[in-house]
Amino acid sequence: MFYKMVMRNSRRSRKENGLFFSSLLISIVAFYVILSLPRQDVMLFLEKMESNAVDRLMGMIPVFFYVTLILLFFLIYYAGSYQMDRRRHEFGVYLVMGMRRRKLFAMLFAEDLGGSLLALALGIPSAVLLSELISLVTARLVGLGIIGHRFTFSPEAVLGTAAGFLIIKLAAFLLISGRIAAQETGALLTDKPSGTKRQLPLPVYWAAAFLGVVLLGTAYGTAISGISWENAKAMGLTLLTGLAGTGLFFFGLRALLGFLAIAGGKRRGLEVFDYRQLQEQVILRSNTLAVSSLLMLAALCCFGAGVGVAGFYGSGERHVLDYTFGGKGMSAEECGEILEETGLDAWFSELFEIRLGYIRTTDDHENAFCMDSIMTEVSQLEKSREQEILLNNLSYVSYPYLIAVSGYNRLLAAAGNPLLELGEGEAAVYMDGESLSYQRKVIMDHILKGRPEVVLDGTVLHLTGEVQTENLVTDRVIRLSFAVIVPDALYEYYTQGDGSIYLNGILDKVLCEETSLMNAVGEMNDRLDDAGIPYEGYLQNMGRQLFFLVAAGYITIYLAVIFLIIANTVLGVQFLMAQRKSGRRYRTLIRLGASHQMLCRSAGRQIGWYFGIPTLVAVCSSFFGIRALFSGLLPTIVRGSILEMMQIGASMIFVLFVIESVYVAAMKRSSNRYLLSLMVPEREE
Amino acid sequence: MEPVLEIEFLKKYYGKSANQTKALDGISFRVMQGEFLGIMGSSGSGKSTLLNCIATVTRPDGGDIRMEGVRVQNLKGAGLAQYRGRKIGYLFQNFELLDNLTGRENILLPLSIHNLSEAQGGKYLFHLADYLEITDVLDKFPAQMSGGQRQRVAAARALILNPKIVLADEPTGALDSRNARALMEKLAGLNRERKTTILMVTHDSNAASYCGRILFIRDGRIFHELRREVPEESRQAFHRRILLVTAQLEGGSANVL
Repeated sequence: MFYKMVMRNSRRSRKENGLFFSSLLISIVAFYVILSLPRQDVMLFLEKMESNAVDRLMGMIPVFFYVTLILLFFLIYYAGSYQMDRRRHEFGVYLVMGMRRRKLFAMLFAEDLGGSLLALALGIPSAVLLSELISLVTARLVGLGIIGHRFTFSPEAVLGTAAGFLIIKLAAFLLISGRIAAQETGALLTDKPSGTKRQLPLPVYWAAAFLGVVLLGTAYGTAISGISWENAKAMGLTLLTGLAGTGLFFFGLRALLGFLAIAGGKRRGLEVFDYRQLQEQVILRSNTLAVSSLLMLAALCCFGAGVGVAGFYGSGERHVLDYTFGGKGMSAEECGEILEETGLDAWFSELFEIRLGYIRTTDDHENAFCMDSIMTEVSQLEKSREQEILLNNLSYVSYPYLIAVSGYNRLLAAAGNPLLELGEGEAAVYMDGESLSYQRKVIMDHILKGRPEVVLDGTVLHLTGEVQTENLVTDRVIRLSFAVIVPDALYEYYTQGDGSIYLNGILDKVLCEETSLMNAVGEMNDRLDDAGIPYEGYLQNMGRQLFFLVAAGYITIYLAVIFLIIANTVLGVQFLMAQRKSGRRYRTLIRLGASHQMLCRSAGRQIGWYFGIPTLVAVCSSFFGIRALFSGLLPTIVRGSILEMMQIGASMIFVLFVIESVYVAAMKRSSNRYLLSLMVPEREE
Repeated sequence: MEPVLEIEFLKKYYGKSANQTKALDGISFRVMQGEFLGIMGSSGSGKSTLLNCIATVTRPDGGDIRMEGVRVQNLKGAGLAQYRGRKIGYLFQNFELLDNLTGRENILLPLSIHNLSEAQGGKYLFHLADYLEITDVLDKFPAQMSGGQRQRVAAARALILNPKIVLADEPTGALDSRNARALMEKLAGLNRERKTTILMVTHDSNAASYCGRILFIRDGRIFHELRREVPEESRQAFHRRILLVTAQLEGGSANVL
């Protein structure tokens, strides 16, 4: 009998709180996916090359896991106490009928445990499937191929997920049931008045809403202008302004809703009732609305940062070269000879030398190179941060590297770019692409158009073309912040034959076709190792990028999902509970002749507003927030791509809208079901 | 004179055969246009079930309810909503005002539900509020009103669409005697001056004495009927007659007639 009762009760609460139950499922999936990250193909692959970074990330995963556990604990506690409060009367009846408190506790515990186990039973298999899918897709996307795929099932992750989930459920349960148990039976039986909050004069709320908007505007302004990124204090101030602004806006929102309720105009259906219902919710829960909105904003920013970082490391630089030989204990020439002997050169579509070296015709390192004309031009430009940085960087250039144009042109050809044509007395500027911001490149290109005059150890040269930024070798550690590309004859003269030679190789794409590039590079590495040729490969460098790509993608999406779950569940649970508390009002409306469709329309409108307002505020903030993130965190990728950024932003907002509409649809279904149950006449005698 | 409401052999049984309760056991009566009819009976006599059946909150097991000749049980969907909102006005014992709406918004609620513009009801609202003396609480929330004011706001809401009949379910049940008398005087006045048809269920003999006719119900059947002899019979005299019948109802066997 006891067992039956437990089963019936837990089935009922699952049905009534389907939304909460599905949120639990999603969080189980999220837990498992993050905990099983070490078992993902990409991570296993990366561990071979970037074990340090991977280890660091793996060390961070528990931190994320615990933080989200704590957040979810609050969610479960919050939603759980609502559910328990609704059943107070029922508990009171059990106790009056002679059920012992211990038995009531056992019953509730069994119900809770049953629900948790069911959630785990459903959640873990779906989580395993999903993480398998993610593993395959990411492996495919980064070109790992699926041949080496291993099943990602991770017993530790299952244990971690189950343990973490059960612990927070149990802790929340104990706290809530302790609170219920401390009450007297009589108190359980009488309905607790929901309590009305004392109201301040109306102008206070208008002022709060206005001040909120002003504060939010200030926060956006300082974030975008870059002021907040200057130091921690400024950032803290911006965050504080933003938080206070959001809070105040939601606090003052009741004035706006009240205005909508009394405003004139043609009314259709239960509009006034809807605004009053919303107003009541906003009055009682303005803080949770603000927090939900902030969580949505955090989710959007996480998505934004993830996409931004991934974009930066993933596609920020094109990949042209696969291998560089030379400079690792064996000269490029020797490497080339061995490659020919072993026939390995046949695997390369391109093998060419890049030559670079210092000016050896003079010992005066302070004055070997002079570009006063450029410096003057830069200093005459309108003062800006970028201009100052450029001026500062250039002021250190007095003894630059020289690059022979023939090798660099091979590189350009391989990259599919137009070749450099240097005439008599002409040279070009090379600057490292990763540290050169878009704005600085624009400034330099503009100056180079005027063919400025520079002096290289007494010889006057004219700089021409645009700033060159192709990576010279595969090794990302070798970077030249400033170099001069000169015709081969000049190169030979100035370096006196004392330069470095690197042999760059590009794998034959036709031969690689059969397998993925990743695998082709892996195989070539083995052959080169066998032949005893030291090399620097794209893959090693790629590894780091890939790592950031995957890590950023995973962590940010994980956090975003968790934030969204919390925000939506809080909103949803709150709305449904408030609706049930308004049951009597709905019954009155029915007796006054309101039809089911009318009530559903009314509830639908309320749900739309209730989810819409926080979402809209979050979306507005995210326009600025994501932009501020990009301009603060990732100054170099902003390659004139406000448009690109807006596209990223728009697609994220679109994703948010899709998620929100799913939630809203689920809420409407649940609310309609409840309203239908009210339509059935009730005997009140 | 045409009857507004006709009840014929109305039956409502609760429970299964062995321990069946006959809440309504074949009741028949008519409510005429402009009549103020009271239904009295002790607790459990079936009077609330009767009202609920008329208000379509409870479905009867047999018999007919006809509003202006139309069988109410046959109504569905829009027709039913129309009936609930526009043919009948319901006055609840506990007022059932929506506590998050102002007095005005509560009174205008039926207009919104039936998609009528506020302008249509605005003028009538003004008259009603004036007559019921609630003009100064129109912009207050129910929590800021007294019990009597709440019930008069509820009365205004029941009347705003000018229904064919007002169903009042123990309207004085939650009021003190002073407020109860004030409300009954207003209802009787509406009946007298505007010919509002009222069907009131009550077990308050004082409230019942404002009616023109009273039906006494016991065990689901009409047990007795009283008519006030207007104009010669005073309300007090009528009240005394009511008391006699109620004494009989409550167990006495003396012949009250």
